[in-house]
Amino acid sequence: MNRRYITRRVLYGIPLILGVTFVSFLLMVYFGPDKTYELLGKNPTTEQISEVRRALGYDRAFLLRYGDYLRELVTLDLGLSDSSGEPVSVILKRTLPVSIALVLPGFILGNLMGLALGLLAAWYRGKWLDKLVMSASVVGMSVSFLVIIIGLQILLCTPYGLNLFPVRGWQVHDLGSYLYYVTVPTLALVLVTLGYNTRFYRAVMVEEIERDHIRTAQAYGASPRELLFRHVLKNSLIPVLTRIMFSVPFVVISGSLLLESYFGIPGIGLVTFNAITSGDQPILKAVVGLTGVLFVLALTVNDMLYSLVDPRVAKP
Amino acid sequence: MTGTTWQRLKSDPLGVGGLCVVVLFALVALCVWSGLLGQGWSEVSGERWENASSDHWFGTNLLGQDILQRTLFGTATAFEVGLIVTACSTILGTLMGALAGWYSHSWLDELVLWLKGVLDSIPFYLFAAAVAFALQGNPWAMHLAMIVTFWTTTARIIRGEVMRIKEREFIEAARAIGLPGLVTVFRHVLPNTFHILLVQGSIVFVAAINTEVILSFLGLGIQDGVSWGLMLAESSQEVLAGHFGNFAAAGGSLFLLLMGFNLLADALQDALDTRRAIR
Repeated sequence: MNRRYITRRVLYGIPLILGVTFVSFLLMVYFGPDKTYELLGKNPTTEQISEVRRALGYDRAFLLRYGDYLRELVTLDLGLSDSSGEPVSVILKRTLPVSIALVLPGFILGNLMGLALGLLAAWYRGKWLDKLVMSASVVGMSVSFLVIIIGLQILLCTPYGLNLFPVRGWQVHDLGSYLYYVTVPTLALVLVTLGYNTRFYRAVMVEEIERDHIRTAQAYGASPRELLFRHVLKNSLIPVLTRIMFSVPFVVISGSLLLESYFGIPGIGLVTFNAITSGDQPILKAVVGLTGVLFVLALTVNDMLYSLVDPRVAKP
Repeated sequence: MTGTTWQRLKSDPLGVGGLCVVVLFALVALCVWSGLLGQGWSEVSGERWENASSDHWFGTNLLGQDILQRTLFGTATAFEVGLIVTACSTILGTLMGALAGWYSHSWLDELVLWLKGVLDSIPFYLFAAAVAFALQGNPWAMHLAMIVTFWTTTARIIRGEVMRIKEREFIEAARAIGLPGLVTVFRHVLPNTFHILLVQGSIVFVAAINTEVILSFLGLGIQDGVSWGLMLAESSQEVLAGHFGNFAAAGGSLFLLLMGFNLLADALQDALDTRRAIR
């Protein structure tokens, strides 16, 4: 592996991490609500006020406060939740597995189905099958996530439809109950991502299929299966993997935010939703800062892996 | 837009259909703004959860307000959010992209790319929550959050396009006769990116309307007035009791408008042949 390339990627990641944490510090700590008077009784004296402000760190210099926030994120010592008084790190540790269990099946299915449909459309590009798949994906892209969720709920969870699945909740203790609660959210996630995924994967595949070496391989009598798996899929691995890596934090956070607040599932999305509605600053600043940092880290590792897979990437 | 583009767009039935839908909704929004339609959106004009009738085409909601009036007014809200966000983020993205592209590989370019990288790294709904948190209930927090994050894609596309255009001969000629850099950018480079902005603008418009719905449901969106997002949020409680008026009216309108815009954006992209640049 090219050592200079790795150094450059790491050096590029540092200002990004500083930027992400600085934005969340600025928005949520520096310009965030002043908690002084929430902690004080009635008619506080000037000394009491300044004491509370010192305890909250409000009297410290701007950069020192930013440093405090960075230290909190690095040591995962994120303070106590305003509403429950529980340590934020404990809450995150408890809820993250629930969110992953909730969105993982939909995420994998949405990408696999998108890849398959995209490949199918690209292979028969210009034919009716391609047109059918692409029209369906425009329709899919035009339905709002919220409409999909409510529509599926009516169809599958109420007496007005099939009434097969629970309206809300998450009482998971074995595989059967897991499937019982995860099916409707998974369907919603697949439907909302499938249109975008199919279009993206089709574009990638068409570009790859139209390359000269594919035509050459075809002329030398390669079978369709060999063409697809050995030449097309293998060469389009990088844009495909990039998209998947890029979308992980967004699907986990944004997807779970809506699904969990709608279905009342106790994951990180519901915790965040409650923190948004009640203005729970310690939770919000931890979630925003940590997802930003994790995203940049994943991006950096991702780029390094590419230079292993494909030496062209590491070229300056 | 040139004549041939218009000809190509006209020969694409799906694109024409999309354009018609968008124009129809835009007319509704105009009528709402000029006070001809949807003015009774907050009036209580019937009983709670009335069924659809000739008086109330989609029935009434929990408070007895007419759902049709609210849907019409919601059209204006959707266009307001879409237009403001699209205009501001397109201007911002064009300026940033032009600067970064014209002075490519300079510290200015690095700065714009860094800013874009930072904003792209924060999941959007969390960023919107953070902005709402910092502005503490300001009704423009939602618009601001969208503008601040949506410009990055436009900037990336414009940056690439400006870097391509500035290698062309007519730019070299402008430089040779001693035209200052910024004059060249505004008078000779940016006008050549207009077709890309048109397509990218319609994509941003769709994203803004779509995002408003989710943010309003999360309680981070529209605060005064009514929007399709707020109606859908209302309907999430009602559908379990078998009242589908809000869901059908708001969900249906939202679908039609988004579909119209998606078809129009696709047709524009084909007619202007910008698919390569946008992707």
